[in-house]
Amino acid sequence: MNSKSTTSARPIVLGVIAAVLLTVAIYMVAWPGAPRLASGPAEGQTLLTIYEGPKTMTSSQDAVITANGHALFVYDVMVNHQHIWSDNVLPTSTPMASFDFDGEVTLDIQMPGLSKAVESAAVLPTAWGIIPEVSDGHVRFTVTEPGQYTVVFNDDVNKAAHIFANPIETDVPDPDDPNVYYIGPGEWTMDAIVLEDNQTLYLSGGAVLHSIISVSGSENVRICGRGIIDGSDYAAWNQPGSYARVPIDLNHAKNVTVEGITLVNSNCWNLNSFASKNVQIDNVKIISGRQNGDGFTFQSCQNHTVTNSFVRSWDDSLVLKNYSGSTKGITFRDIQVWTDLAQSMEIGYETDKGRTLDPEISDVLFEDITVLYNFHKPVISIHNSDDAYVHDITYRNILVENAFMQGDNGNNKQLIEMTLLKSGWSTVTDEFGSIDNVRIDGLTVLHTLDGRVPESRFVGHGPDNRITNVTIRNVTICGESIRSMKDLKASQNEYCEGIVVE
Amino acid sequence: MKNKWNIIMIVVIALSLVVIGCACLGLFGQSGDPGLTVVASPEQSKPMRPGCFPDPTANYIPLPETENLAEGKPVLAGAHTDVYVSTNVNDGKTDTYWESKGFPAEMVIDLQDSRSVSTVAVLLNPSAIWEARTQEIAVFVSTDGEHFTEAAPAARYDFDPNTGNRIRIDFDTVSARFVKVVFTMNSSSRTGGAQAAEIVVYE
Repeated sequence: MNSKSTTSARPIVLGVIAAVLLTVAIYMVAWPGAPRLASGPAEGQTLLTIYEGPKTMTSSQDAVITANGHALFVYDVMVNHQHIWSDNVLPTSTPMASFDFDGEVTLDIQMPGLSKAVESAAVLPTAWGIIPEVSDGHVRFTVTEPGQYTVVFNDDVNKAAHIFANPIETDVPDPDDPNVYYIGPGEWTMDAIVLEDNQTLYLSGGAVLHSIISVSGSENVRICGRGIIDGSDYAAWNQPGSYARVPIDLNHAKNVTVEGITLVNSNCWNLNSFASKNVQIDNVKIISGRQNGDGFTFQSCQNHTVTNSFVRSWDDSLVLKNYSGSTKGITFRDIQVWTDLAQSMEIGYETDKGRTLDPEISDVLFEDITVLYNFHKPVISIHNSDDAYVHDITYRNILVENAFMQGDNGNNKQLIEMTLLKSGWSTVTDEFGSIDNVRIDGLTVLHTLDGRVPESRFVGHGPDNRITNVTIRNVTICGESIRSMKDLKASQNEYCEGIVVE
Repeated sequence: MKNKWNIIMIVVIALSLVVIGCACLGLFGQSGDPGLTVVASPEQSKPMRPGCFPDPTANYIPLPETENLAEGKPVLAGAHTDVYVSTNVNDGKTDTYWESKGFPAEMVIDLQDSRSVSTVAVLLNPSAIWEARTQEIAVFVSTDGEHFTEAAPAARYDFDPNTGNRIRIDFDTVSARFVKVVFTMNSSSRTGGAQAAEIVVYE
């Protein structure tokens, strides 16, 4: 009896085992998330994170971009090719895409939005030495380091593609943390977000947020992610019925970090900080094409550092002013700038808008700044048009790829300009300040409009309001080594002293 | 028959084990690019409010659903700050506002006809960027624009974006052509004057 039972049960047991194993095998083959002995990429293998665009939006019709063969969502963002101020000029658009990676990524770009086929292309910064392959309407190149890459087609800045290759994200906030506002992929809108003490706003890659973020009087605030803040839902601030909506606005804030996100289509300034202290900004990308679209703009702030970031603006790109009190301890480092309007690195014009006692702007460092294009006014400028004492300002290792200053009706087209002059932005009308101890160490200009050295100028106001102790060294313009004020085509008036070109 | 069945099952088991082994080693059954992460976007038909920011409108202080007697009517006020003119106070929009230059600040609204009035509401922009503040407000009414009587005594009202940045002042119904709202304090550190995006008058 027992022997017979065992004999009859064997086929059933085999069948059950076969069914189970077959199911497991199918699961292992069909389900990508199934466990593996060798899970994840092998050592040295490229990590690549790409983000779907919101389902409410469509990828650009002007550009098709792939990363290692995977299509990127391409946003059309506002830029402005008018290089003179106008209240009403409308922006055009240019393609922008982003991804995160570690390893090696080959980018392939097609530009159906151009009026002519792509015959040539350049990858900026050119100093990085990336020579793209151009064939059959495709532009291909490989990147191995995170950074901001701009591709110009057919020697024309129209529809230049901005590609932000971020490092792989780390330290992503916990969405279940009660102090974390976690915004995932998708298109989102709300009038404003106010962050209080110890709060974090995380904006995921693939998220497009139509809103503004305010940090007013708060401390220990973090804004991070790979998402986009998009101001396109409002008309330019100066248009009837509209008003300024600054996408990130810090006001009397302390201990704030902003990391990784992108600001586009703002209807006014972009990342503004007023009377704030201890602010760290890293890997923030700004593209702006509307009126007063200043990039990183700080007034009366202390201890701010901006690193690894990108600004394309239709007004000053990196700008410091005094609105209420002094500015001290500001560093801009490893930043790419494309300035369609106004100045690239501006101090002023307002240096005492708040009419405070003994205002200063001091201990400012611009270091490793690459200016891709500077189309309008000076690249380096200190316009002390109130009564501040501006001193200890350093520009170190500045590379200007295209210094194309067209100025305003022949004026304001200098490469370097430092002045103690009243302006339309002056608040203090009866007193002047001074500029002292400025150092420009390492300035290279690759191209100018006419291939010649542009002019520079230094203008003090009077015996008690002078520009003093300005040292300019290691300057090369269009391949020419600059060793004197004459070489620099620099003028100075009698209220300047100790301006030296070495 | 049984032997044939057993052989088939053994073959299936053997093949399954081979497949499982190969899959475990990552030889197949995995996406072609194990280093790739694609972050998907949710299904949406329009931009939405982020879920981590609940919609506060359900908590707004309710207002009468009757006609706003003040909208578009003539107003008279003292000096204003910057561009924040008095006519912003009854233009029907909460993204424009009136801001007085100092205190006390009086805003007189001419209803252009004698009306029964029992509620005045003062609204600020409901946006969260207009942080909470307190204003001291009194309401007076008049039939001739010269002689006013008190309808609601001065009191401090809390404006909070979580409740719509609005306050409501109810009083016994009076007949009036002119409504005067007097502000004597604003706790906001951003201004030295009164602020109102809308002053709304109800029957």
